Amino acid sequence: MSAQKTAKEDKHRELKLSMEVFFSNKSAVAGLVIFLFYFFDAIILQFFPQVMPFKHPYSLTPNYVNPIPLPPSKKFPFGTTYPGVNLLTAIIKSIRLDFWLSLAVVVPGAFLGVIIGIVATYFGGLVDEVLMRITDIVFSIPYLVLAIAIGYVLGRTLDSMMIALILVWWPLYARYARSVTLEVKEITFIEAARAAGSSKMKIMFRHILPNSLPPVFVQMSLDLGTIMLTISALAFIGFLPAANLPELGYLTSLGYNYVETAPWAMIIPGMFIVLFALAVNLMGDGFRDVIDPRRRSAL
Amino acid sequence: MLLFIPTLIGLTVIVFTLLHIGGTTKLLAMYLSPRLTGAARAHVIAELDAKFHLNQPVYVQYFYWLIQILEGNWGITNTPLYSGPVTQAIAIFFPNTLILTIFAAIIIWLVSIPLGVHTAVNRDKPSDNAIRVASLTFYAMPWYLIGVVLIIIFAVYFRILPIAGTVNPSLVVGLSWYHNGISYPTHILLIDALLHGDFKVAWNAFLHLIMPSVTLSLGVMAALIRLMRGTMLETMDQDFVNFARAKGVPEKVVINLHAKNNALLPVVTNFGYLVAGLLGGVVVIEDVFSYPGIGMWLTSAMLNNDMGGIMGGTLLFGLILVTTSLFLDILYAKIDPRIRY
Amino acid sequence: MMENRKHDSSPIVKIENLHLHYYTRRGIYKALNGVNLEIRRGEVLGVAGESGCGKSTLGRAIMGIIPRNAAIVEGKILVDGVDYLKPLREYFKKAKKFKPTKNQDLLKKVNEEMSKIRGQKISMVFQEPMTTLNPLLTVGYQISEVLFYHNPGLLASRRLARARATKEDTKNIVKILKEEGEGERLRQYLKNRNIMGLEDQIISIWRRKELHDLKKEQMILELCCEPISSMARGYLEQIEKTNSLPKFSKLPIVGRIVKRELLKEAFKKSAEFLGLLGIPDPDKVVYMYPHELSGGQRQRIVITTAMINNPNLVILDEPTSALDVTIQAQILELVKELKEKINSTYMFISHDLSVLSEVSDRIAIMYAGQVVEVGPKSAIFNSPKHPYTQMLMEAIPTIEAHELKGIKGEVPDMRNPPKGCMFYPRCPYAMPICKEKRPPLFKVGEDHYVACYLYGGEKK
Repeated sequence: MSAQKTAKEDKHRELKLSMEVFFSNKSAVAGLVIFLFYFFDAIILQFFPQVMPFKHPYSLTPNYVNPIPLPPSKKFPFGTTYPGVNLLTAIIKSIRLDFWLSLAVVVPGAFLGVIIGIVATYFGGLVDEVLMRITDIVFSIPYLVLAIAIGYVLGRTLDSMMIALILVWWPLYARYARSVTLEVKEITFIEAARAAGSSKMKIMFRHILPNSLPPVFVQMSLDLGTIMLTISALAFIGFLPAANLPELGYLTSLGYNYVETAPWAMIIPGMFIVLFALAVNLMGDGFRDVIDPRRRSAL
Repeated sequence: MLLFIPTLIGLTVIVFTLLHIGGTTKLLAMYLSPRLTGAARAHVIAELDAKFHLNQPVYVQYFYWLIQILEGNWGITNTPLYSGPVTQAIAIFFPNTLILTIFAAIIIWLVSIPLGVHTAVNRDKPSDNAIRVASLTFYAMPWYLIGVVLIIIFAVYFRILPIAGTVNPSLVVGLSWYHNGISYPTHILLIDALLHGDFKVAWNAFLHLIMPSVTLSLGVMAALIRLMRGTMLETMDQDFVNFARAKGVPEKVVINLHAKNNALLPVVTNFGYLVAGLLGGVVVIEDVFSYPGIGMWLTSAMLNNDMGGIMGGTLLFGLILVTTSLFLDILYAKIDPRIRY
Repeated sequence: MMENRKHDSSPIVKIENLHLHYYTRRGIYKALNGVNLEIRRGEVLGVAGESGCGKSTLGRAIMGIIPRNAAIVEGKILVDGVDYLKPLREYFKKAKKFKPTKNQDLLKKVNEEMSKIRGQKISMVFQEPMTTLNPLLTVGYQISEVLFYHNPGLLASRRLARARATKEDTKNIVKILKEEGEGERLRQYLKNRNIMGLEDQIISIWRRKELHDLKKEQMILELCCEPISSMARGYLEQIEKTNSLPKFSKLPIVGRIVKRELLKEAFKKSAEFLGLLGIPDPDKVVYMYPHELSGGQRQRIVITTAMINNPNLVILDEPTSALDVTIQAQILELVKELKEKINSTYMFISHDLSVLSEVSDRIAIMYAGQVVEVGPKSAIFNSPKHPYTQMLMEAIPTIEAHELKGIKGEVPDMRNPPKGCMFYPRCPYAMPICKEKRPPLFKVGEDHYVACYLYGGEKK
């Protein structure tokens, strides 16, 4: 009885320490705050677009009367970009698309990768060898190039971009999950669970999976940024032929031809990509401090 | 090292699968010159049908395709940048990409290893924090944005570096060893100019290389500094480093010989990923700087739905990465006495 | 030097009221709480205690090898009368809030100061031989480093001696050896001929047991006429005279040659020393990497590295704990042998009292960051005074059947140690005063001290 109570207290104390560790890292907190801004932007525009004063929340509104980029002013706080697109509203709209797109790549990619990684470690031997060889092969093509090739085969649309990136990303998680589960597998309590006669499936999903999740979550938060960078790079080199999509990479590519006369048209949307990638990286570092026992107690 | 062959086979299987998902028309597009029409076209199609055994099961087709690839018959590319055999395009564009990546790799190695060591040794000091913030910012920047910022600063504002291309066109007019944007014999303008003793062109070519290679290095550098800092911190906690201190070895030697060399091992194993990052960056950066290399060719192939360019580029990048990782494995065995093949 | 050591009666290390705390996010971990101890010249001091009692921290603190989050709160360690950790202590006194980065800066300076005596006057053997050696360097290089940085003069003189010696010299030396052995006449001869550097080379060959006399003679005859480039020679002579290294960065090519000569010589000397310790094939072993050696062999290499410069003090931090029992016995044998051969002082840290009983002269018992009892080995084993020591003695397994007793209770949480005696919560004889005040060391016998109110102080 009292052992249970102290276990509960311990858990409480550990949670408190986790919070302390995370919140003592000021840059991680700043990252979290910025991330929340993007998050709410995405939520509001996705589910309550009527709150915002946009006629077309899911496309850009060009102004062909005055297509040349204008510098920031009262009317256009961030200026405009070609063809006469108000950058402020365009960015707000773009964040929605980029955020959900990144999430739509990270979550299935991680899910697929973690399942495969755990299967590989748990069965070991030939299964492990074959699965890891497959990840090796996928790794042998730079992901941007592979995404272009897949995009060509499936047609260059938003959906095929998503599929291409998932196909490119899962091996990363498979590798990562494998290394993490290998560690977890060694831990004695799983031995104990096996000795107690749990089934293989149960050991995998009740014991190994929950323990390998925290590091995977950290990796996911870091990857949100990397994927947004990749998406924007693909959009910049013209992967998405359909114009009018509010996407940050596409927005920057609109300003590219005016880079000498209107640098803001590229810099400002670009900054919002950097800000997001920076925020999730800082946040991820903070989370990593929390879950890493050594960094957790070091000063 | 034994994994080299299966990885190569896997790579070709992936490329072939991609070709196949697109259907035979796409495969044919790779080998069919678009200029052909009418009867001649039908004739060539029939020929290709026989050559690739397109009426046979898929796995048989794969082997016939592989034979063609091994024979150097990589198909035809047709982009505004270049029209002709894929292998020819590679011969023209690859040297440019090669010199760009080599420049970038040298910059990365020279800067990030010392900085990684410095930040680890001066953990949590102002310089560590500054380098961390800077490298994280570059890490979070898309390649093309780094390029654009550099263009705005050095080409638009200060006007000290050229914006695009490999050379100022007016300098190469009428040169005997330069036709249609291709220099001879190595196809690398900088080296060719030096070979011909034309230092003015060589200097100009060098200036054109600075911004693309610096851009390329900045993104990867950030990752490498972070990696080096992390492994260095880990190594400095190791017993053998403390033992070296206990032996009274000067701190400089403890850091640079005992700690650094051991910290480099994981960096070398991960260098393959960094090369992959470099090659990915090449695609975007060559586009930004209109630098005629494999990356620019690949983008232009993508924009023009050119099967030959995309598949040729993919296969080439795959081959480069696989060979690099083979090379890195050998290097690793060289520096770590515990591994012997 | 040796005579000097015997006459000097001041302790080689004197630790006064040392408090060392580790600052972590989980709280301040009070590792050492007022340690008082001295290590006397020529003795083997055993330090015993449970894991986490601070015995390893104490050893590392003497060496100055402590992490940046370790604060010297109070007290000092005098090594040959010098208080190396002074800057850290002064920083802690001044600082309102302890900052590891600041501490690290000072630690760097401490390191710099101490690197002059580490490996030379004091050296240390770590617990885990598998991780103590650098996996990327040959063991020969790792031993050579100590010689190279602290004793370049010896290396230079060894090398120069082989260049100066003539065929005639070596013939004479063999003659002397045959007539009188390695006595005063040999020394006199070497001195007259200015080839003193040959002495230990000759002796190491002469003492080898596995070789036939003829072979030995032949080897000694070869110790001559080894030419050196004239450029390097000048620098080597300078190194021989000053026993300090020149700035190699300022001598681009010659520096390399000189450095290579010195390192080559250090490899030779290392192999000789390994041979003296009875390691087979020393000439091959020096070119091996640590992973090619077994744990016991590696520990021997580590001990060699620590001993090769004849240090005044060697701290052995659980040198046998990570090894198999048979290897443990061999290493203990080696330590005993070294004790005979080299007149040095040893601090032997171990959790295993039976190991300490074999090697030590005096034993200190530590508990929760304090020395609770210290005295001659016989006194500690025959009449342990502190309740904790008594319980420890009962916990040693022996061949005769007796009931093994564990010690009830747990080691106190070092983030919140008890205000009074550290052992109070587990002590069967606890008194009210034990809860209030920490007991100082009381004298209970000849050179035997114990920190317990049962033996002195205001009994109530």
